[in-house]
Formats: sequence, structure tokens, C-alpha cells
Amino acid sequence: MNDPTVHIPVIVICTSLIGAFLAPVLGKYRPALVGLMARLIAPVNALLLVILLRYVDAGETFHYYMGGWAPPWGIALSVDYLAIYVALIIHLVSAVILLYAKDDLFGEVRGDLHRWYYTLFLLLVAAMTALAFSHDFFNIFVFTEIATIAACALIAIKPKKECIEASFKYLILSTVGSGFILLALALIYMVTGHFNLTLVAQNMGAAAEAYPLNIMVSLALLIVGFGVKSALFPLHVWLPDAHSSAPSPSSAVLSGLVVKIYAVVLIRIILTVFGGEVLAAAPIADMILIIASVAIIAGSLFALAQTDIKLLLAFSTVAQVGYIYMGISLLSETGTMGGLVHIFNHALMKTLLFLAAGAIIHQTGLRKISDLDGIAKRMPITMAVFSVGALSMVGIPGFNGFISKMYLATGAFDAGKPVFILVILMSSLLNGLYYLPIVVRAFLGTNAEEGKFAKDELPLSMTFPLVILGLACIYFGLLPGSLLELVRKAAHYLIAV
Amino acid sequence: MLDAELVKYLPVAAVLLPLVACIPLWAIEQRSAQIRDWFAISINAISLGLIVAMYPTIARGGTIFLEFPQLLPPFGISFKVDVVGFSFALIAAFVWLLCTIYSKSYMEYEPACNRYYPFLLLCLSGCLGVFLTGDLFSLFLFFELMSLASYVLVVHNQTKEALAVGYRYLMLTLVASLSLLFAIIITFEVTGSTSLVSGNYFPAASGLASITFFAFLAGFGMKMGIVPFHIWLPEAHPVAPAGASALLSGIMLKTGAYGLLRVIYQVFGMETVSGAGWQTMLLVMAGITILFGSALAIAQRGLKKRLAYSSIAQMGYILMGMALFNENGLTGDVYHVFTHALIKSTLFLCAGAIISATGKHTVDEIKGIGYRMPVTMTCFTIAALAMIGIPPLNGFVSKVFLSVGALDAGQSAYAVILVISSLMNGIYYLPIVISAFLGGEGEAIGPIKRRFGLEMAPSMMVPIVILSVAIFATGLMPEGFALQLSKAAAQLLLSS
Repeated sequence: MNDPTVHIPVIVICTSLIGAFLAPVLGKYRPALVGLMARLIAPVNALLLVILLRYVDAGETFHYYMGGWAPPWGIALSVDYLAIYVALIIHLVSAVILLYAKDDLFGEVRGDLHRWYYTLFLLLVAAMTALAFSHDFFNIFVFTEIATIAACALIAIKPKKECIEASFKYLILSTVGSGFILLALALIYMVTGHFNLTLVAQNMGAAAEAYPLNIMVSLALLIVGFGVKSALFPLHVWLPDAHSSAPSPSSAVLSGLVVKIYAVVLIRIILTVFGGEVLAAAPIADMILIIASVAIIAGSLFALAQTDIKLLLAFSTVAQVGYIYMGISLLSETGTMGGLVHIFNHALMKTLLFLAAGAIIHQTGLRKISDLDGIAKRMPITMAVFSVGALSMVGIPGFNGFISKMYLATGAFDAGKPVFILVILMSSLLNGLYYLPIVVRAFLGTNAEEGKFAKDELPLSMTFPLVILGLACIYFGLLPGSLLELVRKAAHYLIAV
Repeated sequence: MLDAELVKYLPVAAVLLPLVACIPLWAIEQRSAQIRDWFAISINAISLGLIVAMYPTIARGGTIFLEFPQLLPPFGISFKVDVVGFSFALIAAFVWLLCTIYSKSYMEYEPACNRYYPFLLLCLSGCLGVFLTGDLFSLFLFFELMSLASYVLVVHNQTKEALAVGYRYLMLTLVASLSLLFAIIITFEVTGSTSLVSGNYFPAASGLASITFFAFLAGFGMKMGIVPFHIWLPEAHPVAPAGASALLSGIMLKTGAYGLLRVIYQVFGMETVSGAGWQTMLLVMAGITILFGSALAIAQRGLKKRLAYSSIAQMGYILMGMALFNENGLTGDVYHVFTHALIKSTLFLCAGAIISATGKHTVDEIKGIGYRMPVTMTCFTIAALAMIGIPPLNGFVSKVFLSVGALDAGQSAYAVILVISSLMNGIYYLPIVISAFLGGEGEAIGPIKRRFGLEMAPSMMVPIVILSVAIFATGLMPEGFALQLSKAAAQLLLSS
């Protein structure tokens, strides 16, 4: 425990937190430095996490006790592959979004609020990272709340009526979700006497035998609570408005990262804390599997009906969250890998798509898909990158979306449920139906009036993140080897227990 | 003689060169249209050269194999060339080169050529990739590349009609590729690999096997244009520019045929296919496709549309050949791939020449065109006669082999269908030829656009003439190169 590397999880969480609190102060005196600080924190933390990953690779996963206080008194962080994987995604994608936000924010958020925007963003990043590492229920609850409030504020910061409305809706529903979670934690604490995940898991067998009702009710409450927050169909109603009305960097972080963190937390709790016996007693996995399938198909169908580009992307997220739940609840190694790898792939794709859509809105003010005829002539790079994201969403081989689809499909077969392959393929088709026409319209549409798009290409600070994301989509589509290695270890953590 | 180590890399080079060349091509076309055209042509020529260089190895009966397991796990990418893939790739690259040369002048007055050439190269890469890969998954990968890239060729004109047709094409392509993906996943899970080697057959008939087979059939049949999966074809082929139509009809349809050949003979095996009754079904589908395509071709007034429906009928021949399960039938099948590629691309290129010179699109408007464009119409006539199956042209040879194959298989009804279809081919091709030469001296056509004092630019005429000569040559040398390859391919498939 003397190696400083072991402290990295705490350092990562705390730097983001400290950054969040510094931002308003710094912004008051040196406004130019706030963004720079935020843009430095995320990549540096990502680098630290890579070092941590190396360290864990060389040795083994461990639990970190804050201040050396062991549970049941101290706070425990679980430094396992799943946590590192998720935390890495959070920081890598946030780094790209923050780069993009530099110029985009000027169009969307009032100048004097920028420092508060960075505060909220870093707070959200810190809370998500903490959720990934937390190993006790109490901290999970606290950070869930922090993340929820920060996320709501990131939507409401845009001074528009629909943003306030959407964020209010989000806030109400999320708070109901939090209430469910709190109740569930109380029920669990009541019968097991612990908050630490390991200790709860150890006591779970006995508790389930003595108080089956408590355990079942708490499980149901947890699923609904986290289900609301991760927009699991049919609890997704808040998502489309919230994600589509928010400023584009917020949309990207909300759709790309936030919903999935809750899904990961829920799945981690269900699989590692409740474990096999409870799962055997109630067909939770099958239920989630069916809900996820409905989510995939319904989300895509809703998206098909949208005329606003950001609303379309938001509904598509509902479907993609279904992929993640489906993969993991298949409970086969490849299926779990598919679900987990989709967390990363979808974070890349959806961030890319939201940022590209944001770039279009930033330059032209157009949001309706039917207005985007021939826009690629004005914004070729943006639309080329958008096409990469769209093809990736459809699951064309050579792009990263294909890898997750592949693993989900083989996972469904391995689990002996080949029906779900059809669900995945059907949804790919639906994705094609709503993504490809946008691409076709942008490149081949001829209705564009001359001079309709007054400005030309984007500033470099917006183009660069887009191109990075596009290249990443292709790179991880062709050479996903190292990623899959990490995902395999994370999957083992989930299903070996 | 090439070093064996070098030969291993020939397929990869032939496939990836056009793919990678898109980047310099993009840089070049910003500066000069002239250099762009020549660059595209030379890339095509090099690809063809690389494929020809594999011939010594293939002629010795060898195969070329190379794999990259680290790409796209869990399947990996592999390249494997045997005589079947080589035959398909050879004719593809050859016709592709000629069509690219043809496009140089044809596209001169068309918009958006800077999009046309890169996508032509992407398509070539995808098409060669399909023929030269060694496992179903890699095949699928390149199949997708080709299908998506060819979408851009189909909608090249960006008219409302082209976009509507393109949309249908795109969606059906997606359906096809998803059903292929489904089939490949099941195959991988059941047999443990997707590589195209003999002996690793799908376990005999079960519900899953049937679903898989039909998914394959839908996926490849869609590309091939088999009835009832043909609905996109007669719309999509005519709207593309002539060079691309020729390739769509002449070459890209064959990727579907190639896939089905591999699936029938190397994934399921003949015993399973005939045991489950799929052989009969394939034959019936082939018969329907032949008669349906020919009948609708007769009804078309548009020149290119008629050619497109004729392609459907011809793909029926190819489906029939592969479902006969004997050496003569299969030889005729592979030979017909050569035949049809040459004939149909000649016809489409001639049609393109007529359309660009006169602006006329329908069969009725081109009475007497033979006087204005004698070279074009002579080549058109040769190709039309070959399509009907007049000896000594190559279409006759493939029909003989197919008919003998049908009789060998005890399916004499299909020999009759072949005869009827030849008759129908006559009904829709001969009137064009007759009215072209005997329908007056072309008063109704008006003046044609002449270039360099010729009826068309030399770079359009040369490919057409070369193709017509090839039609003659392959027909006149019945024991020639193409037939040798077809026989070897048939034997290879049957022995597996």
C-alpha cells in the first residue's frame, strides 16, 4: 500500500471535485483560465487511470480504504477492471467534449455563466467517477444525487424555456428515482446491517432466506430507481426533452456518459451483491432482457418519427441503453462483453453525433432534418464525421458499432437465446432507416438555396474533437484488440462472482 | 516467376490498393481532372496485373492464403485465392478496367466526377475483396463495402428518381447485409469457424440450418437479383451512369452468385442441400427468375431497363447452373459468369454510347441508329447474338454446358426452359438490332454528337471493341482459357 499508484482513484475523484470548486473563484479573476483548467484535468486524470490500469494489470485488483480505515467503518473503493474501464471512458470522452465546449458555449450559454458551467461539468465528472469506484451503498447514493443535480443544472443553464421545463421534468423524475434507491438501501441495511458491497453480499444469502420480501422489494426498487436515471424503457420519458434541449456539450455528456453510469452501477449491484441465489429465485435477468428488447425496438421506432435532429439522437440513446442492458443480462461472457464494449462504443458514437449536430446548429441554427439538404457542401468535415457516426450506429463493419453488435449477437447465441439476435439485427435496420437518410440528404440533397448557410467551416477547436472521435470510431472498429482485452476482464469481474 | 512469399501478398495488394488509392485520388482530383482519370485507370490496371500475376500459382492448382487474425476479432481477416475466386476476380478486374477507361470520356460532361472515381475504386476494392477472401466474415466485410459504395454510383445523377431508387437500394442492401450477418454468426457458432474450407460442413438439416440457409439465400440472392429479391435491380441499374451500370450488371451481381456458390458447396455441402429439398427449390427459383426476367424484358421500352431485366434472367441461368450439382452444369455456370460479364457490360456500354450521342433512351427512338453509329451497333449486335446463344459466340458455349448439365441431372425441363429463354432473348434483342440497321437511315434521330470525327470518343470505343472481340475470342476457342478455368473451378467445388 506504499506505492503512490494505489491512491490514483481518490486523486482522480478529488482533482475533479477541487477543480469544480475552484472554477467559479478562478473564473471571477481569470476567466480565461477556467476552461483551460477543466481541459487539463480530464486528460491528466485519464493518463493517471492508464497508469493505474498498468499497475492493476501487473498485480491484481484491490480495494482501497480511505485513510486506511477498513470497512465496516471506512469508505471503500473497488479498484477493479470494470471501474477503471468506466472511469477511463468518462475522462477520455469528457476531455474531448470539454475541448469542443470552448467555442460552442459562446453560442449557447451566457458569458458570465461559463465558469459555473465548468463547475457543474467537473462536478458531474467527479460524481460519475466516484460512482464507478464506490464500493458502498452510502457513497453510491450520495454520488448519484450529486450527479443528478449537476446533470439537471447542465441542462437548465441554457436560458430557454424548454430547457428549464425539460430539466425540471428530469429533476422530478430523477428525485423520485433517488427516493426509490434510498428506500431500497434502507431495506437492505435493515436486513444485512451493512453498506459495504462485499459485506452486504456476504450477508445476502442469510438475509434472503430470513427476509425474502425485503430483498425482493429492495431489488425492485433499485431497478426502478436506477432504471429511471438510466432511461430504461418505459422510464425514459424525461430523456428526449432533456437531452435534446440542453447545450450540445451537455447533450453529449448526458447521452454519451451519464445514463450508462447508472446502468453500470445497477448491473454491478444486481450481479455482485444480490448474486446468483436471488437471481435464481426471481427471473430478473429475463425481465431486464425483455424490457431491453422493447427499449431497443421502441426507442428506434420513436427516433424514426422525429424531425428534430437532436431529438432523434436522444431517442436513439433510449434504444442504445437497451443494448447495454440486453448484453449484460444475457449473462454469457460474450454477451456481457458486448454490453460493456457498447458503453465505450456508444459513448464515442453518440458524443460524436451530438457534437456534430451541435456544430450544425452552432453554424446554421438549423435543427430540423428536412432543412439539412446539401449541408455537406458547407460543412464537409462535420458531415463526414457525422456519417462515420451514423454508419457506426447502423453497425457497418469497419466501424466500432459493429464490434458491439457482433458481440451482442454472438452473446445471444451463446446464451441459447438466438431470438435476440433478431432484435439486434432489426434495430440495426431501424437505425439505418433513420440515420442514413440524414447522411444522404446532407451529401446528395439538391434543394439547398445558395447562401443559405452564411458561415463556413467551424473553428479548429470544434473540428478537432469531431475528427478525433471519428478516427476513434474507425480505429476501434478495425483494431479493437486491446479494448476487448480490457472489456473481457471487466466482464469476468461481473459474471465470475 | 514470383517468389512464393511475394505471391502470398498479391491478393491483399490487389484488394487494398484501390481502397488506399482513394486518398491520393482525392488529393489529385482537387487539382486536375485529367490526372485523376489516368490515376484511376492505372490503379485499375495495376490491380488487374496483380491478379494476373496469381495465375501461375492458380494454374498449378495451388491456393494462396494469408490471414490477419488481429484485425476485427473474433473472426479476423483472411485472404484465400483458389481457382473459383481467381476466375471471378480476373473477369471483374478486366471489365472494371475497361469500364473505367470508358468512363473517362463518358463522364466528361457529367457533374460530380470527383465523387464518381473514388467510389468506383472503393467498389472495385470491395468486389475483389469478396472474390479473394478466405472466410465468410471477410467476404461479408467487403460485400458491405461494395454494396454501400455502389449506392453512391447508383444515385450519381442526384435526380429525384435516382434518389428514390437509391433509397430502396440502400434499405434492401441493409436487409441483405443483416440477414447475411445473421447467417454468418449462426454458422460461426455452429461450425466453430467461418473459413471457406472443405469438410467443415454445417450439420445436416435442422430448423436452425434452414433458417441459416434462407438467410444466406436472402442476403446473396438480393445482390444477385433472384426473383423475388430482385425488386431493386431493374430500377437501380438503369439510373446509374453507363460505366457504373455496366459494372453493376456485369460484375457486382456476380458477388451474390459467388457467395451462394461458396455457401452451397462449402458451408452446407451438396448432400445437405439436396437432402433438405433446397436443391429443388433453388432450381424452381432459377426457372421462375429466367422466365420472369425475360418476359418483363420484352415489355420494356427503355433500352437500359430492358438490359437490366435481361440481367435478372441471366442470373437465373447462373443460379440454375449452381443448383444442378454436376460438372457440366457447374462448368457452364462459371463460364456463364465470364460470358455474362463480357456481354452485359458490352451492351450497357453501347447503350451508354447511344444515349450520350443521341440523348435517346427508348428502344423505339433509335431506329436506324446503325447508320449513324455503325461501330456501336455492330458491337451491340455481336453481344445481342451472344446473349441469344448463336454459335460460335460465347453465350452458346455456356448454354450448351448448362443444357447438358440439366440433362445430366435428369432435369430435362430446365433444358427446355433454357431453349424458351433463348427464344425470348431473341424476341427482345433482335428487334433492336433489326430496327437499328433496317429501320431507315436514322432520320428521326437527328444529328449525333460526334467527337474527334468519330461516333464516340476513342476512349469509349476501345473498351467496347475489346469487349466484343473478347466475346468472339472466348466463343471461337471452345477449349480456351476461360473454359479451362471454369472446368477447374467446377471440379474444385464438386470435390469439396
